[in-house]
Amino acid sequence: MMLQDGSTQLLCLTASSGVPLFSRGTSKQLPFSVIGSLNGVHMFGGGQGTVLSCCETEGGGKVIWRVFQDSVMLIAVSGGGQGGPGSSKEEVVRLQRLLENVWNCMVLVLGQDELANVRNVERLKRDLRSCFSLIDQLLEDRQEGILGSLTHCADCLLPPNPTLVQQAVDGFAQAADSEFGCLIVHGRIAAATEKWWRLAPQEVVLLSALIRFLSASGSTSCDYPVFLPHGSPTVAHRLLRFQLLPGADVCVLCGPTPSLHKAETGLVCRFWSPVVETLRECLTVGERCLPGSVSLRPDVMALLLINRETRRSVSCVKTSTHHPPGDPPLPSKSRCWELLKLFYMFSMSRYFAQEETLCVSQEERTQRGTTEDFVLGFSHQPQQCYLVTEECKSYGLQTPQHQLFLLIVPSVPTFALRTVATQTLSDIVSVTGF
Amino acid sequence: MALAMFEEHAQTEEHGDTESTTSSFSSSDDLEPEWLDDIQKNGELFYLELSEGEEEAALAQAAANQGVVSTNHVRFSEKEVEIITEQNKKQRCGSRTKGEPTLKKLARILRRKRRPSQRRGGGKDGGKDGSTLSQPASILKNQPSQRQGVTVQPQQLKEVCVYLNPKRLGGSSTPLCDRGGLLEALLGVVHRPAWNRGQEDPTAAARQGERLTVHGLIPNSPAIKCGQILIGDVLVAVDDVDVTSENIERVLSCIPGPTQVRLTMETVAPMDRSSTTDSSSPRTKTKASPPVSQLVRLLWGEDTAELQMSIGHIPHIVMYLSLKLDSASPQEEEEILYQYPVSEASRQLKGVRGIFLTLCDMLENVTGGQIISSSLLLGKHLVHVGYWKESNNLLVIGLPAERVPLLCLQTVVGDVVRTLKVMYGSLDSAFCTVDHAPRLDHFFCLFFQQLIQPSRLREGSSAAPLPDVSGTLFLDGLPAVRWLTLPPEIKLEVDTVLSDFESSDFGEMSEDFFGLRRLYVILGSCLFYKSYLIANHLPKEDLLDICLYCQHYCLLPLASEQRVGQLVIWREVFPQQRAANGGSSVPGYGQAQGRHFLLIVGLRHFMQCVLLEAGGCASPALGSPGPDCVYVDQVKATLLQLEVLEAGIEERLNAPPAPCLSCADWFLPAATARDRLDSLASSSPVFSKLAGAVKGSSSGSRGRNLFGEKSRRSSPQRSLSDSGSEGQMDAGSGSSVAPGLSPHSTPDSARKLGGRRDSLGSDGSGGSGGLMKVPRMKHPNPFYLGTLKKTLTERETEEMYNTMKLTSGVENTLFHYVLMETVQGIFIAPTHREVAQLSGSIHPQLIRNFHHCCLSIRAAFQQSLPARGRRAADRPHSGGWGLGPVKEHGVLFQCKPENWTDQRKPAPTMTYWVIGRMLLEPVPQEFYVCFHDSVAEVPVEMAFRLSFGLAL
Repeated sequence: MMLQDGSTQLLCLTASSGVPLFSRGTSKQLPFSVIGSLNGVHMFGGGQGTVLSCCETEGGGKVIWRVFQDSVMLIAVSGGGQGGPGSSKEEVVRLQRLLENVWNCMVLVLGQDELANVRNVERLKRDLRSCFSLIDQLLEDRQEGILGSLTHCADCLLPPNPTLVQQAVDGFAQAADSEFGCLIVHGRIAAATEKWWRLAPQEVVLLSALIRFLSASGSTSCDYPVFLPHGSPTVAHRLLRFQLLPGADVCVLCGPTPSLHKAETGLVCRFWSPVVETLRECLTVGERCLPGSVSLRPDVMALLLINRETRRSVSCVKTSTHHPPGDPPLPSKSRCWELLKLFYMFSMSRYFAQEETLCVSQEERTQRGTTEDFVLGFSHQPQQCYLVTEECKSYGLQTPQHQLFLLIVPSVPTFALRTVATQTLSDIVSVTGF
Repeated sequence: MALAMFEEHAQTEEHGDTESTTSSFSSSDDLEPEWLDDIQKNGELFYLELSEGEEEAALAQAAANQGVVSTNHVRFSEKEVEIITEQNKKQRCGSRTKGEPTLKKLARILRRKRRPSQRRGGGKDGGKDGSTLSQPASILKNQPSQRQGVTVQPQQLKEVCVYLNPKRLGGSSTPLCDRGGLLEALLGVVHRPAWNRGQEDPTAAARQGERLTVHGLIPNSPAIKCGQILIGDVLVAVDDVDVTSENIERVLSCIPGPTQVRLTMETVAPMDRSSTTDSSSPRTKTKASPPVSQLVRLLWGEDTAELQMSIGHIPHIVMYLSLKLDSASPQEEEEILYQYPVSEASRQLKGVRGIFLTLCDMLENVTGGQIISSSLLLGKHLVHVGYWKESNNLLVIGLPAERVPLLCLQTVVGDVVRTLKVMYGSLDSAFCTVDHAPRLDHFFCLFFQQLIQPSRLREGSSAAPLPDVSGTLFLDGLPAVRWLTLPPEIKLEVDTVLSDFESSDFGEMSEDFFGLRRLYVILGSCLFYKSYLIANHLPKEDLLDICLYCQHYCLLPLASEQRVGQLVIWREVFPQQRAANGGSSVPGYGQAQGRHFLLIVGLRHFMQCVLLEAGGCASPALGSPGPDCVYVDQVKATLLQLEVLEAGIEERLNAPPAPCLSCADWFLPAATARDRLDSLASSSPVFSKLAGAVKGSSSGSRGRNLFGEKSRRSSPQRSLSDSGSEGQMDAGSGSSVAPGLSPHSTPDSARKLGGRRDSLGSDGSGGSGGLMKVPRMKHPNPFYLGTLKKTLTERETEEMYNTMKLTSGVENTLFHYVLMETVQGIFIAPTHREVAQLSGSIHPQLIRNFHHCCLSIRAAFQQSLPARGRRAADRPHSGGWGLGPVKEHGVLFQCKPENWTDQRKPAPTMTYWVIGRMLLEPVPQEFYVCFHDSVAEVPVEMAFRLSFGLAL
């Protein structure tokens, strides 16, 4: 076995000639012969009018192929193994999103032109190295509590004083001669201009990831050229990022002006020093993502709430404060995040259709068909679902506007789950207007 | 080429002088049974004949389709068969229990060399037809009555559509019949040129082109199968091209591949009045004409090419590929050991077999597990491909995604593999024996037809419920057989009769009598009535093996929808459990190493499957023995003995559902009665009374109840807090012994609940007696409320439906359920008739949806369980399940009436739960239930209530 249990290997090749461009993943790199065969079967199928899209092996191993722009082939191979994270059938959803994200990430950094028309393979290989750190971040999914790359919804943080922060972001963006601005707190979007939300959900998610990556590098400000995979795949914009406080960054997408220096000296202080206290309050919200005014029931262990219209999401895992002795221990925080992701994938691949009508081309639709075929088989619309497992009880709920996924402590009786879920949803929505 | 064309007449007259009554079975051994000639060289037998009533029904339907009430009876099976059944029936009226095989002699006298029902070679030996010609074959068999009272009438033209397959000729090594040419070989029409009729110069006649008069028909040919070409007709044109003896060969040789052609015939005897209308629409005629369902025709082994053609555009394939290739001598397609079908879409899949081989070879090293599935896009079609590797060969099955979701692909493939293993011992022996190819073609034709166009298979059969694919996938995929609970006295009798049979004490027929070692030991048998299992004396795994075989050959629906005149199946089988135990036996106990044979005999709605063992205690089997008349007759005798009970079983089937079911449409008010919905939501007494009346009416007599008097009193209406405590207890400990124990229950009921399994033997029979007691009173129409409201007092009504309910709360909210007893390998669900009674427009949708959802729920259970007791042939489990073991899984659905036109109001909605619950304690069960969401239910408790009294 060449792959470690549960690890994912990403292969990138040129679609026409099968020249390997790069290979990422924590495992040891796959032998060239295997890479060649994996690419070869897909190419062979293409010649015969069949498109190979995915494969499953015993133990939950998966292989997913996808060709982008007829020029780049991405292959994700995930090793199964017992009990590894996401070794279930639902993994396909994650891998499909992963390939989409990786492609978008490559476009974001290099632009579509360079990728779609490969002239010099060696040069492309060299250029692609600049994406590696971002791709690795997508692959490893290291940061807990960031689900955007899976849900394709922007991870948000609901600040206690949304209006103040919103005004500051709007004003700052305007002054920077841009319509696209956003404030990121703890890696989540706390506020953004209206135009920012009009970007494709995948772009918003990817930009957030990029900003997280940039701010993790430790610099206080930077100027980074980006292509927008859907909005402007061929013309680069400048992404200006400024660290306001540790953990709080503001950024704008803008044209040639203003210069980084000018914006940093002239604009940042002017707009953000008056709201420093508000920013500090935002930071204290922390990973809970929800303002203190929202009180969650004590039996809710974790939640993911998605606004289907705005494609935003909030998610949090509560550390259990009171725990009756004698009961089996509740799952740890990291396990909760894992369970939440798994339950999301489970529900989405079986019951709740992924609507993303925006930005989903016909080609992508057919690609997704592999995971949607089951959902489409229902003659009536699934609304809610729950799962009782040994560790916890999970509840999923879909309304025209929201999707809510909850992990609830096992001691709550099953029939009460629905009440807990609907109450949680109405509590959050009524207080925050999310 | 001599055809005994008019033998029929002679034979039909003969039946008058046959002896009509011999009641003892012992006399049957000097008579040959009618299935004797269908036995294959390897001893296998598949003999199926429909009963008379069935053919008449089919005929009536065919006639109705044509819009003409025809008095001409088109019999599909042989004349003598009808006579036998007719006589049989009369006799049965007189003395029920005796004397079925009395007419054996008649059968023998009248027996015709019926086309053996096993598929004869398919496309590979079309040339062999010549050999069958020596046997008497009557063309009139299919058209006995159309010749009745023929008077010469003005010549008429009729159009006949036949399906021709020139490919059949290709495989035959024998040259085309020298005289008949393609006309005989392809179409099956015998035409004698004029030289033997007169002194004219034959060459001159040929030059002019002689009229093509039908002088004879070749058995098993398209011409005879279409049933509309009669001797004496003249073939005028093929697809509107005028033909004569001069050009017919050229015209026919232009047919490139399997296709349907339209023949214009000049006839003296008009078919019937409809023939004139038919000529304008030949296509509808061909559709209406099959008097028996496609399924039966398929089982009879008739030409499957047309059925297969109709799904030719849907990509599907089965291939058995060799992974070990001798690269020294690469030959074209050498690695394909077997493939089916040969169609355009499958050609594409066959073309990419390199992908399957490569992936199978490579992925094991990469991810550490065998490949189990892959998904391909063929144009717009998404195809899932399932793999099964055995030694150095690979079985690949490709199925369209819209029919088989990826979730259940593995189950489907596993079941096919297990069926093949049961039938042939191993995949290698199934696929690598050349003789098996035609039989495998037939096997996979059935397989694909059932999955891809189940409705087509059933069309033509009477009153067939619309099969839904999800339901089939789910129910067939369960490692269990559908069980029908019977009233205890009937059950007892059935068991006694079966045990008597299994004791093999056949009186003077037994081998003991002759001092011989017996041929076979009866390992056990199981009995089906109308597709329900009603008794089983087999170990679970053997039962599942047999059930898989029956499912594959659609024997169960066959017995329920169509009265089977006689069904005899005999073949060697390889029960999987026994095969697995053979190698590593428990020390001190070695299971006898013998060969196993499966004998299935069906009579009318009964079907008994017997597993026999040769070797071990019995004498070893040599070669490939065919069915032994003694055993077949004993099974028949058993079935005849059981027929007395048919009335009782029918009564049980006709009984109102217990627990009672609601129809989804009742909960979805019509547009005008919107307020009813509100009243329902607030559970007003108005609706509850209505519901009560309905339930009450359907429960029929007040003597019946679910638990018997005692336990009913002790299971009070559950309050919310009760279930709360229950839920907590259950979730907390996970091993609560009596989950249904509510604080209110009396000590008496506690004892009863706690020890319910133990007490089933004695007490349980009483309880189930209460459940199943057949009402003496003829119950009124459950949907006619008017009289009932008057006749039943309110209190009675209330009490009655309370006790019959599975759900808690005021209304009965139960829509559907499936309860599977994992250990016994059985499941119960509302009977087809119960479902049919509910009718409604939403309800069938709901059931379809229920089954589809159950597929997902069961997949979740399966994935989270360690591989244990799975029915699919053994293979290590597919991966961990990140979420951990799933105990319960539920989905809430919302439905709206279709075609909601009212713009002013939003469409009313109805929401319902589909919940699956896996129970490991006290007995492993899987429970799937569907109910309206107005009341929160605890599935554990419902499962408990339902399983009470369910015992084999």
